[in-house]
Amino acid sequence: MSLAEHENAGNTGRAATADDAGTASAQRPATASPRAAAVADLVPHLRAILGEDGLLTDRSQRRTYESDGLTHHREVPGVVALPTSADQVAAVVRLCHEHGVPFVPRGAGTGLSAGALPHSDGVLLVTSRMRRILEIDIANECAVVEPGVANLDITRAAAPHGYYYAPDPSSQQVCSVGGNVAENSGGAHCLKYGFTVNHVRGLDVVTPAGDLVRLGGKAADAPGYDLIGAFVGSEGTLGVATRVVVNLTRTPEKTVTLLSAFDSMDAGGRAVSSIIGEGVLPSAIEMMDALAIEAAEAAVACDYPEGAAAVLVVELDGPTEEVDAQVAQVEHLCAQAGSFETRTASSAEERALIWKGRKSAFAAVGRISPAYIVQDGVVPRTALPEVLRRITELSADSGIRVANVFHAGDGNLHPLVLFDDAEQGAWERAEEVSAQILDLCVEHGGSITGEHGVGVDKACKMPRMYGPDDLETFDLFRRSLDPDGTANPEKLLPTPRLCGEQPGVQRDVHPLVASGHAEQF
Amino acid sequence: MAGSSRTPIPVVRDGTPQDTVGGLAPARVAEPSSTEELSRTLTEAAGEGRAVTLRGGGTAQDWGPPPRSLDLLVDTSRLSWIDHDPGDLVVEVGAGTPVADLYAHLAKEGQRLSYDPVRAGGTVGGAVATGASGPRRLLHGALRDLVIGMTVVRPDGVVARSGGRVVKNVAGYDLAKLHTGGHGTLGAVASVAFRLQPEPAALRLVEAEFEDRAGAERALAQVRESPVVPSAVELSAAPGTPFSLKAVLEGTPDGLRPRADRAVQAMGQHAQVHEGLPSGWGLRPTSGPLAWLSVPPAESVEAAALLGRRVGVEGCAPRGALHLSWPEGTPPAEVASVLEEARARPEWAATLVRADPGTDEAVDRWGEVPGLALMRAVKDSFDPDHRFAPGRGPGGT
Amino acid sequence: MTEPISGDTDQRFSELLDDCVHCGFCLPTCPTHVLWGQEMDSPRGRIHLMEQMHEDDVLTQAAVGHFDNCLGCLACVSACPSGVAYDALIDHTRHKVEEQHERPVPERALRGAVFSLFPYRARLRMMRGPLRAYQATGVGRALRKSGVLDRISPTLATMERIAPPLSSPPPPLPEFVPAVGSRRARVGMLVGCVQGAFFPEVNTATARILALEGCDVVIPRSQGCCGALSGHSGRLDEAARFTRALVEVFERADVERVVVNSAGCGSSMKHMDRTLEEAGADPAWVRRARAASEKVVDLTEFLADLGPQAERHPLPVHAAYHDACHLSHGQGVTSAPRELLARIPELTVSDLPNKEICCGSAGVYNLFNPEPAAELGDRKGQDAAATGAQVLVSGNPGCSMQIGSALERAGTPMPVAHTARVLDASLRGLGTEVLLGP
Repeated sequence: MSLAEHENAGNTGRAATADDAGTASAQRPATASPRAAAVADLVPHLRAILGEDGLLTDRSQRRTYESDGLTHHREVPGVVALPTSADQVAAVVRLCHEHGVPFVPRGAGTGLSAGALPHSDGVLLVTSRMRRILEIDIANECAVVEPGVANLDITRAAAPHGYYYAPDPSSQQVCSVGGNVAENSGGAHCLKYGFTVNHVRGLDVVTPAGDLVRLGGKAADAPGYDLIGAFVGSEGTLGVATRVVVNLTRTPEKTVTLLSAFDSMDAGGRAVSSIIGEGVLPSAIEMMDALAIEAAEAAVACDYPEGAAAVLVVELDGPTEEVDAQVAQVEHLCAQAGSFETRTASSAEERALIWKGRKSAFAAVGRISPAYIVQDGVVPRTALPEVLRRITELSADSGIRVANVFHAGDGNLHPLVLFDDAEQGAWERAEEVSAQILDLCVEHGGSITGEHGVGVDKACKMPRMYGPDDLETFDLFRRSLDPDGTANPEKLLPTPRLCGEQPGVQRDVHPLVASGHAEQF
Repeated sequence: MAGSSRTPIPVVRDGTPQDTVGGLAPARVAEPSSTEELSRTLTEAAGEGRAVTLRGGGTAQDWGPPPRSLDLLVDTSRLSWIDHDPGDLVVEVGAGTPVADLYAHLAKEGQRLSYDPVRAGGTVGGAVATGASGPRRLLHGALRDLVIGMTVVRPDGVVARSGGRVVKNVAGYDLAKLHTGGHGTLGAVASVAFRLQPEPAALRLVEAEFEDRAGAERALAQVRESPVVPSAVELSAAPGTPFSLKAVLEGTPDGLRPRADRAVQAMGQHAQVHEGLPSGWGLRPTSGPLAWLSVPPAESVEAAALLGRRVGVEGCAPRGALHLSWPEGTPPAEVASVLEEARARPEWAATLVRADPGTDEAVDRWGEVPGLALMRAVKDSFDPDHRFAPGRGPGGT
Repeated sequence: MTEPISGDTDQRFSELLDDCVHCGFCLPTCPTHVLWGQEMDSPRGRIHLMEQMHEDDVLTQAAVGHFDNCLGCLACVSACPSGVAYDALIDHTRHKVEEQHERPVPERALRGAVFSLFPYRARLRMMRGPLRAYQATGVGRALRKSGVLDRISPTLATMERIAPPLSSPPPPLPEFVPAVGSRRARVGMLVGCVQGAFFPEVNTATARILALEGCDVVIPRSQGCCGALSGHSGRLDEAARFTRALVEVFERADVERVVVNSAGCGSSMKHMDRTLEEAGADPAWVRRARAASEKVVDLTEFLADLGPQAERHPLPVHAAYHDACHLSHGQGVTSAPRELLARIPELTVSDLPNKEICCGSAGVYNLFNPEPAAELGDRKGQDAAATGAQVLVSGNPGCSMQIGSALERAGTPMPVAHTARVLDASLRGLGTEVLLGP
């Protein structure tokens, strides 16, 4: 069908009154797969569930959902559903289940692993209209929210009571709690406070069969298997969270942020090791290299010390007396490691200024490079210096610039591999460097993702980290809850279609296996 | 790939009266000394359709009902090894490693696993399989929060690893969550990797007793509102005794002095400050009926007041994670009645962990288990013939 | 604050589009996304629609609707970590829409009517008489209550609702107001169309403050509209015509700075060069416009820079400061007005919750898209009321009308004053009645 035909079927305003089932069918030529026909068949049913306003069928509108934060992967969704209630979500999923149509959950679309990449023959289930904070329950130190609520909005709502929501991914003002649950999002402060999974007490889940099930609640330790623990981080492959009970954490009495500048990454790395080694547990230790600093300066004028080859952002929080002692200790340790300037900020404004540079770093790289790949890998902290050196070598050998922004405290690297997308073959070369960095992580006993998730992007890289039996076991679990494979298919685990004939083949021997601590069969 | 060429060591022997679990004597007992041996043993057991139960230190064999059938008891005590990366604050241990050995090892490096065991003499595998966490879960998280990786041998003998040895990792499903507290019904835990912490320089215990509920509630609220950041706030109540609150503070000696003062202010001037933990800290009674009670945290003191007239109540008040303990020989009807009283409250869940021998018929151990259908689906996938600790799974699965 | 679309405009447009990395940081600050929670009504989604428009060279009816829905508040520009020039993108897109898209007849008629009225101070002023008479009769209140207007035409209803209560007009300003005391600068002053017609007292106050702070103030009578309303609606030729005229007027005035007290005008006048460039003006004109733009400064920004000279008298009042989008997002001016207010003895200033979200006025947006505008106005009204302040202070006439009417609608009326009037009251030692009423 021609574009113009689509366009004529479109609507003018926000209401998705667009084309009808007939048009949707017309988009599918007679040769369409049985599944494709099924999506079109669903449209009247979906409209009955969601109303005129809750379903997008116009192609130009659907196209705006073609990717999440990882734009390299694109696919126009069959239809877009914008439910406003758990019942609507359940009804849509049940419909998909009955017709064998895939569905893909999506929150704010900020994910960086294409975990919300739409299915062209499926339903994209967007929670952006389910954004009510249902309850801030201070007595029980929890918040009850709908999945589309932005992470930071929980903290905003809890702050007047002296509480906050601890997980703070750098997209926290945008990213949704439902997305955080799907990805088990961390953030700068997970070094001390853990990840989403450590802060979710209860979940209402629509299962792939379309049943609405309540797991846990305001009370901890629900009886039976820890399904909440397994659901968090399952990337939408086990269903859709429609209501989330999260822990609220008491705002620390005192928070101090230090910014320490070094003339080499090695010196910064030494400071990190000695801070951890001395038994200080900062809430965050972040590191940026010269290129990342340059980008942040260009974007937000964060005014980091001039000439720094590395900056360390260290945050300490807790009871005043403990924090004061730790600040002195960290200042001393940074100086010992060779820091040429350390700034200490305790007011909210000053701290925000230090964080501004760090938090904007990813997007800011857009200022110094036409395009870039954000990598996410983890190494044991003690392997950081070695791995960073190897990344520098990789960069030098390939002539591709790599900016480093990372959570140094827990060894979570975020190399930003820069390239010019206008240049022929540049993406492929950058992608190669990026993949080699992941290999480095696995080689050092780390992980292919610390917080961005596997999604589509790394599904084919799972065999580098896990053996065939591990992967088969993951799949066994997945199939136990989604036997028909309609929930976010082709994400998280390698499939022959995505990864070629032998998804289970492992390229490298995992160090655990090499050292005899783990075995493979 | 690893060692089918290695000479198999005899790992299986006949069962003895000491190997009895809940009155059932296993015909055979396996004592594997490696993950590979464990795998081979379980592969064989699968081929022969044998019912399997696991044993670590044997301290929790009376937790959960007796298995419905038992052919092979797998004793993990030879799966004992510690691989510690002090610089990374990570340790990986064999499931049969005694918790005490692990703690002694870590202490030499000034580190610890921030977990208070609830039983003495247990193994790491047993702690993980039962999943129960002691008082300091308040600040440091329950045991499930400290596990970063796990190797499990599935009921069909396949070895599967999830997670890893780095503290941050979201690759793949977090299957360790299912096995933590899974009571060995989904497979055999072979090894576990944990995140560690540096051992704090000093510790204070601030303790106070309260005659009435209002006093305890006020003190608890004030501790929560104060910025002292306790690692634990343990509440206890029992028939004929006052309410007691014990707050644990950890940190530097200089920092602890003012923090303890503020905790005393919050808990009342009669509160006492100690410089160490009492013996038996966090341990639950080793005999008599024992139940988990979880309530919305704001109702912890209410639960202690309501049920404390009939049964011992103790646990982490700010998490609402409590346990109930009765003297041995308590009539099952009384146990059942307390459980029913608790289950009648919205959002309260009570699970009987240990019953006196022979009383199982008289008490519903589980009550309603939300999500049971999903749990059954998981069980059916991993253990389709229900051979692993049959009857010990959620809702009696 | 943004780069002009130069040379091959389409090529430049494409490059500007490429700056967007789809991170989504703009979503929570976008008023239409706040209202509707769908991608196409967010900046990220609109940029995607622009990409479609650019790549496929087709302008869909759906896309036009979503472009029209944009308030142009530029909150996304403030939020964007990648520095995407959304302002330039949406201006260009609107121009394209006006060029290529055939609007339905009633819509065309309404747009024609609005653009033949608003950019012309004299025509607006002529409306004052009938409006004042109409307000005096009380018919307005009855009509408003009945909701009849809402049913007949939401746009008419909006125009009726937001018209401020009018008193008899103050005498027109002289063309020159000399500095009081030592002379520190010679500045030009923009009168503005809406400001001039509906809020002449703000202009009087502005001239007085500038003079009291030591400025010779030049107020050319021949000045017309700055072209912002037309420019932000894609009526590029019209905008360019207004711009050229204005550049000439202030060139003749021979001033160091051109002080603007209306955020919308100021925001637009700071890039008159871009406007002319988009319209295809010759480089010489673009240069002249750039030179003129460089002199443009918001009143608060100018005063904060200049530093206080005149004495501030106490003004015991609790004020809530509303960031006009075209001041905060469009010009990055947020601290200057707060500083000026905070320096007034006994005055306290609060921020509104959700301060980065637009009030829904957005130039003539509330006339073309009355429903969402009203909804946003209601939200802003609630946020203003939540501050518990006695008076709402804002630097833009559109915002004042919009929020004032929302507050009244909600039954929580609150006086709304321009920053200049608050300063004026303090400088002249008037009581709070000037702001709060008797």
